[in-house]
Amino acid sequence: MSHVQLSTTLERLVARKTFPLQRRTGVCRNLFGPVDHDELNREMKEKLREISERDQQRWNFNFEANTPLDGDYEWEVVTADKTPVFYQDSVQDGKIRVPVQSPPDSALPESPRADALDRLAVPESSSSPCAGEINQENRTDKINSGKATTRQLPCVRRKRTAAPDNNTHITDFYVKRKRPADIKPSDMTACLLSKSPIQVEQTPRKRIR
Amino acid sequence: MAHGTSIQYDPVAEIGGGAYGTVYKARDIESGQFVALKSVHVRTDQNGLPVSTVREVALLKRLEQFDHPNVVRLMDVCATKGANQETKVTLVFEHVDQDLKTYLEKAPAPGLSPDPCTVLLITHLNPCSQDLMKQLLCGLAFLHSNRVMHRDLKPENILVTSQGQVKLADFGLARIYSCHMALTPVVVTLWYRPPEVLLQSSYATPVDIWSTGCIFAEMFRRKPLFCGESEMDQLGKIFEVIGLPPEEEWPTDVTLSRKNFPTLTARPITDFVPEINEHGAQLLLKMLTFDPLNRISALNALEHEYFRDEATSTQTKS
Repeated sequence: MSHVQLSTTLERLVARKTFPLQRRTGVCRNLFGPVDHDELNREMKEKLREISERDQQRWNFNFEANTPLDGDYEWEVVTADKTPVFYQDSVQDGKIRVPVQSPPDSALPESPRADALDRLAVPESSSSPCAGEINQENRTDKINSGKATTRQLPCVRRKRTAAPDNNTHITDFYVKRKRPADIKPSDMTACLLSKSPIQVEQTPRKRIR
Repeated sequence: MAHGTSIQYDPVAEIGGGAYGTVYKARDIESGQFVALKSVHVRTDQNGLPVSTVREVALLKRLEQFDHPNVVRLMDVCATKGANQETKVTLVFEHVDQDLKTYLEKAPAPGLSPDPCTVLLITHLNPCSQDLMKQLLCGLAFLHSNRVMHRDLKPENILVTSQGQVKLADFGLARIYSCHMALTPVVVTLWYRPPEVLLQSSYATPVDIWSTGCIFAEMFRRKPLFCGESEMDQLGKIFEVIGLPPEEEWPTDVTLSRKNFPTLTARPITDFVPEINEHGAQLLLKMLTFDPLNRISALNALEHEYFRDEATSTQTKS
C-alpha cells in the first residue's frame, strides 16, 4: 500500500514539474479556438449603433448631440426654474457640486482650476459674490408660482447679514464640501470598484464653512 | 474591472458640459403625455460602465415593471458614449409639473388657486395631508419591499401631479450618484436626515421614514420642522423636539458622544405642529422615533389609525 501511495505522490510531483503551466491554468482551456477580437469589436459597435439608432427613432431625439429631431415627440427646452429640480442633469443637480474653494460670502477663487469648476457648477455666478445664491434650488420660490413669494423660515443663517432679500433658501443650509484638486486615482478606483456599497454610501463627513 | 487600479481619471470638471440649467421636455403628439430627459454622466474606463451603474439601471427597469402609481415612470434608458471616458446615461421620465415643495408653497395663497386639493389644504388641512401621506407611504412601502432605500427623501424629490397624485422620484439613481458623491463635494440638505445618518451610524430603510415624518410635519407647518445648519445643529434641533434619547438608545458605533448635547425632555409635538389631529400626532411621533429599530415601517404606518379617520377622504390614486 505504502508503495502505491508513494508512486502516486511521485507521479504528481513529476507531473507538476513536467507540466507546470497545465497545473496553473486549471480549467482555463481554449475550447472554441482563438477569439477574433476585431470581429467581436465590430459586432459590438454594430450592436451599439443599432441600439442608439432605435433610441433615437423612438424618442426622435439625438442623445449624442443632445438635440431634438422631428417626430411624434414635440421637444422643447424648459428653463430649470419651470420644472422640478429632479429633472435636472445630475452634474447640475443640487446634489452634485464641483468644489467651491471659498466660503460663499467671500470672493470667488481665482485659481484657473477652481474657476473652471465654478463655471460648470454655477455659470452665472462669475459676477456674484455668493455662489450658493445662484443655485437652481434657490429658485424654487419661482417654480410655477408665477410670482416670487417671500418665505419666512424659522432659522436664518447668521452669516448672511447683507442678504439682498429676506428669503431663506434651502441651499443656505447646505454643507459645502470641497475636495483637493489632486484626487488620488486609487481613491476613485476604490469607489468605482468597491464591492461593498456601504463604502460609497457614507454620509459626507467634512464640513467646510 | 481587474485593470481598474491602473486607470487614470480626468478631472471632475470635465464631467458633463451640456447646456446648463435647462431640461428637455416633450409632449407625445399621440397620447398627449409629457416626458423629460435627465442625464447622468458616468465615468467609464476601457471596461465600460461601472458594474454598479449597470446593476442600478437594471434595478430601475425591474421596478418599472410593477408600474407603481406612486413612483415616477421611467420610460427608457439610453446610453451614449461621450467624450473622454464618460458615458452619458439619459433617463427618459414622465414629466410632472411640480414637486411637493412648490405644491406646499403654492398652498398658502387662499382663493388664488382653483386646485381643489389646495383649497382643501387651506380650509381643511387634514384630509389632504392624509391623502398625500398615504400615497407617499404607499410608494415608500413599495420601494422598501423591493429592498430599495431612497436615502434622500425631501419635498423636492416628491412629485405631485395636477390630479394630486404623489410620485416618488430620485431614488435608486442614488447609487449612480454615490459614485460621483465620492468624487465630488456633495451638497445636500440636512433637514430631512435622521439621527443615525447625522451620527454616522449604520442605517437602513428607517431613514426614509424619518424623512417622511419631517415632510408630514411640514405639510401642516408649511415650513421645515428641523432646519439645522450643521450636523450638530441639526441633531440639537431634533432633540429640542423629541428630547435627548436615553443613554441605552444612543448608538454604540458612533464617535459623537451623547454628553455633547444638553439634557432635554420631549415637548408635545403639537407645540411644533399645532394643526395636526390626535392620530396624526401619534403617527408623527412613531416616525420621528430616535431609534431606527423602534421607528414605524412604511407598511405599518399605512395601517395606522390616522388613515382611518374620515374614511371618506380620497383613496390612493392609481
